[in-house]
Amino acid sequence: MKLHNLTILVASLGLTACGGVDDGTTPDDTLPPGSTAGGDDTTFDHDNSGFNPFDLLDRLAEEGPPRFTARMHSCPKVRVRTLGNVLRSLGVDMNAPGPVSAAGLYNAGYNALGGPNYTNRIRENINITTSSASREFDIFAAAADQIITNVSTLARCQVNGVGAQLFDGNACRIDGITCLIGQPAQAAHLDFCNITITSAADVDTGKRIAVAALLAAAYTCE
Amino acid sequence: MKRISRLLLVAALAVPATACSGGDGSSGDDDDVGDDDGSADPFDQILEQREYDYNAALRIASLRLTGDLPTIAEINEISAPTDLTVKKSLYEARVTEYMTRPTFASQMYYFWRDTFKMGDTPELDTAPALAAQLSTDNGNYMNLLTQAANNCPTFVENTGVFTPAECVGNAPKAGVLTNPGAMKTYFGNFAFRRVKWIQETFDCTKFPVELNGTPQEIGAASPYTGEWPFTSIAGTDSGGRVNFLDVSAVICANCHQTMNHIAPLFANFDLDGVYQAAIAVPTPLDGAPLAELSDYLPPGEVTSYRFGQPVADIPALGAAMAADPDIAKCGVARMWNWALGKTDIVDTLQEVPLEVIQTQVDTFTADGFKLKNMIYAVYTSDDFTKF
Repeated sequence: MKLHNLTILVASLGLTACGGVDDGTTPDDTLPPGSTAGGDDTTFDHDNSGFNPFDLLDRLAEEGPPRFTARMHSCPKVRVRTLGNVLRSLGVDMNAPGPVSAAGLYNAGYNALGGPNYTNRIRENINITTSSASREFDIFAAAADQIITNVSTLARCQVNGVGAQLFDGNACRIDGITCLIGQPAQAAHLDFCNITITSAADVDTGKRIAVAALLAAAYTCE
Repeated sequence: MKRISRLLLVAALAVPATACSGGDGSSGDDDDVGDDDGSADPFDQILEQREYDYNAALRIASLRLTGDLPTIAEINEISAPTDLTVKKSLYEARVTEYMTRPTFASQMYYFWRDTFKMGDTPELDTAPALAAQLSTDNGNYMNLLTQAANNCPTFVENTGVFTPAECVGNAPKAGVLTNPGAMKTYFGNFAFRRVKWIQETFDCTKFPVELNGTPQEIGAASPYTGEWPFTSIAGTDSGGRVNFLDVSAVICANCHQTMNHIAPLFANFDLDGVYQAAIAVPTPLDGAPLAELSDYLPPGEVTSYRFGQPVADIPALGAAMAADPDIAKCGVARMWNWALGKTDIVDTLQEVPLEVIQTQVDTFTADGFKLKNMIYAVYTSDDFTKF
């Protein structure tokens, strides 16, 4: 807060200064301090879109110093290619037709999901953005039915030839959820899943929502 | 790693009241830090409160190292034992196994594509392929800068197989530093974009990088603190067509003292990344004439990696870089940030202080910069396995 207030104060002083020299003459085109943008007789154009030190200060104030943050896991979005692998390994047909199938949403979602653009020297964006998160959640919602159907037959969900089950009748099962999220499911996962089913208009819809929501929660971060 | 300090300095100077009110300035948010009562640092307390969670670590390791989820058998394998030492041992064995799979090669290939910000065509994929090959074969990281043969391998993703190949053309050979695809991707005036790419990719900092010199008054708003003599680069007075000694907006020499001593080495690669007998990069002057050596350096100056480290050609530059401890630190920091889910260390200033990775850097250095060993060390470190 203190920093924001001071920034506003500094900005205000700047405006005052500009106002004070408004004598009707044409403003000169002197470059701001630190700029390396080109002028006719000065420097050539450079990229001045570097990291803003005030953004950095805000980040440090919010997250803590690098000696702390560097030692903590961050929450990057699941990479586009990895998301495809995860869907495939959960039993989703990645060649299924239709623009609103899970495969269709995934295959058309490269840009929304933040895929790299090497032509323009841009790496994959692993920040969670509104577009990437919403597209990912749409994919999970579309994929839920296939996943429910296929989980028990997936090799990666089997132990000694016995497949994990997501549901036992209308109740969720912990082994199925473990396979879904990639780490041991906890009681809270099971409670959430069961409450979602009982709260829905009907059981099938509840199961779909439960699976999609568990996936969305588990795969918000890679 | 050095850049962040400079940015903070700029910010601190711009807002002196903030700097003055912050006590010892030990964190960015002093209001919450009880530094008056002598209690432990709250950030250290949070770090100390973390606990080992090998199943959480396994999930992340599996997604990053193989690009897919762990199987339920792998999950159960780690979760079943109650003894933490047994869990640790099983986790480490599984990480080792992940790193033998063809999918690990693919993951490294995509990691290096992102790191180099290039790929998607056969020509542009050879540099990431070389780096991925070194990663999967436990090669020497410094070969990225020095390797003298087979620098343009191909990679078949579905088999995870690399096929060694020479790069086309007659360029000198020095790992990815002379990769035609990289030279094509980073083509630009004076070859400065190529120098910037090499600096940021392998040293993890943007220019300027040599600012610890004795302050010299040069008629600018502030003294020049470069390590090179101010007139060691070309200006219009020395016969150059661009005045790199200009101080009217900023002190150009802060960055160009280093850049101008490196860029001529990369100036013979043309628009297509093909090495030519003469300089083949343009200038931003009217008509875009080709650069000349006198545009970079005054007579008598020679190409160099840093002040006092002359390098006659790109292989010599690669050797000088390989001997620079900052390059090894950068390599570890990049892997560290990948493992812990950070964004780019340069683009978003995701600094990794040396104290955090000192153990891994020391081991990496003593181990002959073995890349796969270093990746394993990062993925089995306490910080990776604690949550």
